[in-house]
Amino acid sequence: MLFRTRFIPSFLLFAVAASAQQQPDAASQGRLKGLSLEELGNVEVTTVSKGPVKLSQTSAAIYVITQEDIRRSGVRSLPEALRLAPGVDVAQIDSVKWAVGIRGFQSRLSRDILVLIDGRSVYSPLFHGVYWEVQDTLLEDIDRIEVIRGPGGVIWGANAVNGVINIITKSAKDTKGTLVSAGGGNADQGFLDFRQGGGNNDGFSYRVYGKGVDDGPEYHSDHQQFDDWRRAQGGFRTDWDVNTNNSLTIQGDIYNGVSGENVKVSTLTPPYLANVEANAQLSGGNILTRWQRKLKDGSDIQLTGYYDRVNRLQANQAEYRDTFDVDFVHHLMLRRQNFIWGLGARLSPAKVPTIIPTYFFTPDERTDQVYTAYAQDDFALVPDKFTITAGAKVLHSSFTGFDVEPGVRALWTPTARSSFWAAVTRAVRTPSDTEDTLNNTSVVSTAPLVYSVTQGDGRFTSETLIGYEAGYRSLISKTVSLDIAAFFNSYDHLQSLEPAGAPFSEDLAGTTALFYPYINANGIKGTTAGTEITPSWRPVSWWRLQGSFSLLHMDLRTIPSSQDATTVFTDENSSPHHQARIQSYFNLGRNLDFSLTWRYVGALPYYLVSGYETGDARLAWRPKRHIEFALTGQNLVQPRHFEYGGDPGALVGIRRGILASLTFRK
Amino acid sequence: MHSPNAVLRRLKQLLYFAVAVTAFVVPEAHDLHAQTPKPTEYEVEAAYLSNFGRFVEWPARAGAATEPFNVCVLGADPFGPLLDAALKGETIAGAPMAAKRISKPEEAASCRIVFVGSVKDSQLNGILQSLRVSNALTVSDMSGFSRRGGMIQFVLDGNRVRFEINLAAVQRTGLTVSSELLKVAQAVRRAP
Repeated sequence: MLFRTRFIPSFLLFAVAASAQQQPDAASQGRLKGLSLEELGNVEVTTVSKGPVKLSQTSAAIYVITQEDIRRSGVRSLPEALRLAPGVDVAQIDSVKWAVGIRGFQSRLSRDILVLIDGRSVYSPLFHGVYWEVQDTLLEDIDRIEVIRGPGGVIWGANAVNGVINIITKSAKDTKGTLVSAGGGNADQGFLDFRQGGGNNDGFSYRVYGKGVDDGPEYHSDHQQFDDWRRAQGGFRTDWDVNTNNSLTIQGDIYNGVSGENVKVSTLTPPYLANVEANAQLSGGNILTRWQRKLKDGSDIQLTGYYDRVNRLQANQAEYRDTFDVDFVHHLMLRRQNFIWGLGARLSPAKVPTIIPTYFFTPDERTDQVYTAYAQDDFALVPDKFTITAGAKVLHSSFTGFDVEPGVRALWTPTARSSFWAAVTRAVRTPSDTEDTLNNTSVVSTAPLVYSVTQGDGRFTSETLIGYEAGYRSLISKTVSLDIAAFFNSYDHLQSLEPAGAPFSEDLAGTTALFYPYINANGIKGTTAGTEITPSWRPVSWWRLQGSFSLLHMDLRTIPSSQDATTVFTDENSSPHHQARIQSYFNLGRNLDFSLTWRYVGALPYYLVSGYETGDARLAWRPKRHIEFALTGQNLVQPRHFEYGGDPGALVGIRRGILASLTFRK
Repeated sequence: MHSPNAVLRRLKQLLYFAVAVTAFVVPEAHDLHAQTPKPTEYEVEAAYLSNFGRFVEWPARAGAATEPFNVCVLGADPFGPLLDAALKGETIAGAPMAAKRISKPEEAASCRIVFVGSVKDSQLNGILQSLRVSNALTVSDMSGFSRRGGMIQFVLDGNRVRFEINLAAVQRTGLTVSSELLKVAQAVRRAP
């Protein structure tokens, strides 16, 4: 199994189903006549063969969100786009924040999901998760988003526990020309996207882009309209085919944003507890370079290095982080084997200065380090019929020392149109600064005055998962395909909060306060099980239907020595246990597209969010070749609905959104 | 929490709605291909197949001059009418090009180029062995084709179609390829 960005196919099963029935268009052949060999090599094609074959031969629950899906569904941000994949739990907390999970453990920062943008990890070692609001790019420049449900530790390493999300942007070769897109609406109040690309005939291509977004607040029944949000981002990418065997990519992004937020601040002086409405200052940037070299016999090597900067200043905390990362991959094609091995190192020095005295890290400067080595072999026991994949990653992190993530996968392809796969994999979530060095004093009650004091004791260890998975894929007919995956995940050492000694009282300027000390421990274990069913159907060439149904059952418990009475309930009840989605894409003639989406998401009892269903629609019209008008409606079924909690104050209602946009592409 | 019945009822409603919209829309929906100006890789591969003959010399053979220049497809045919359209009206050294479908390697005697469609991996070695006697230029887009003794293999480079040449395999058969073809090839596999 080749789990590395460029080996993964970009087309879905339904793409085959769709194309299989299309008769080749003999009339269009005329335009290729008379082209030289060299010119033929530069013709861009729509691939209909390679992707699906490989996807059907992958022994993992992978789903690929294509550029077409992103564009036609009218999504405006990366988390929204992730809704297009089965088994991903995506909820909007407010205008700025999102909660994302895969196969459970949905949370504001997605602690069990590793997210990579063109191979650059955006997983924060400070708060074990991803700040979704600052992960962005020009959505038109995304080639595809690969969503892998299930542990991916063998290739990707730490924190790829419940899944991996690979966001892959297009090569600069494929973004030549001008793009300008602007629009506005009631929720997404205004946006402007711009891109210019070009290149020469010696294999050098480039693009530069910029975007600005102004989002209005969502619905607040308590009129705390704190979550307005403005941001700007720019970047570039160059791709250079140095010669037939070597290519070099250099890319970078820079962003700056101001997001309104409402945070709970505990103090040791009156009023002890306050909700502070303030603007978070979020900025950062990155630069990445990747060298790829093709070797003999289809083998290749790849060397990637990047630098990433994060600046985050909030009302209650701050983080200033530099990350330096180097990765090497060698992929060998042998007679019946695909062998891949790699090495990686990451250094991430950060400053986390104290903003409020009840929330601080000791020390407030720290360098996180991770070193990894891995190898994986794909062996065809019976060529074209039965393949075994085995591998392991060894990692050494500055938090816990050594961890090993082994995995075994099997793929059986009885016919070219169907396959069965099964896998057993181990993955770990390494501790973060939050569990290790954060000291958090938080008001539990103001009268009487009671605080909890939570800190790490240096003994918090990695959360572990052994995942058992199986799946079936089939092209049932030329128009229907089906993908079914089932999993049984066995977790151990999950995070719990344990009382640490007896409560003590202190006199705070005349008022007696009671302090309950807690430490972060690994006192929870348990299992989750579930299935995702992803059918697709293209009844006629101009109509495509894509469905997905996801079921989840979580069964966690505390270990005997644990006294944590709340975390099991929290973890089990903050991810939806049922989800369904149907996506319908119509081509209404050559200049008109229409898409409809319906989705159902089950309840989140912990946040008092009930199950809901809603829908989106998008109509796009191209009066001229280069111009497109689009009208997008989101969450149309009701004026507002609740998706997740987490902000202080009343639950934030996600509003019905209408957005009009005009796009020029040339 | 909605009961499964409620969800099912909703699904049904949605399906009816979709069907209703469809019925309304049918007269409008035509000419899907006009929307997708990019050719598929098979169109480009067919165009390559109509071109390769100009860059290869076959050993002289009695009667060859009067035969059509046959481009044959062995096994599953991914081209359909595309290949016929690409070859129509083309000539090589005066011989008109024509597409021909064959089902066994033994039928390749009259073929100058044989495109090997998707065949079972395990059969490929046998097929290549049998094709050797026909002196045909073997082409395929199967992965590993040129590595395993095929002459030209189409490869996707991003969304462009390029090709690799196994020069050793070409030379074994007595064919000569021009340097121009080698220059354009993405990779050339030479004799070890």
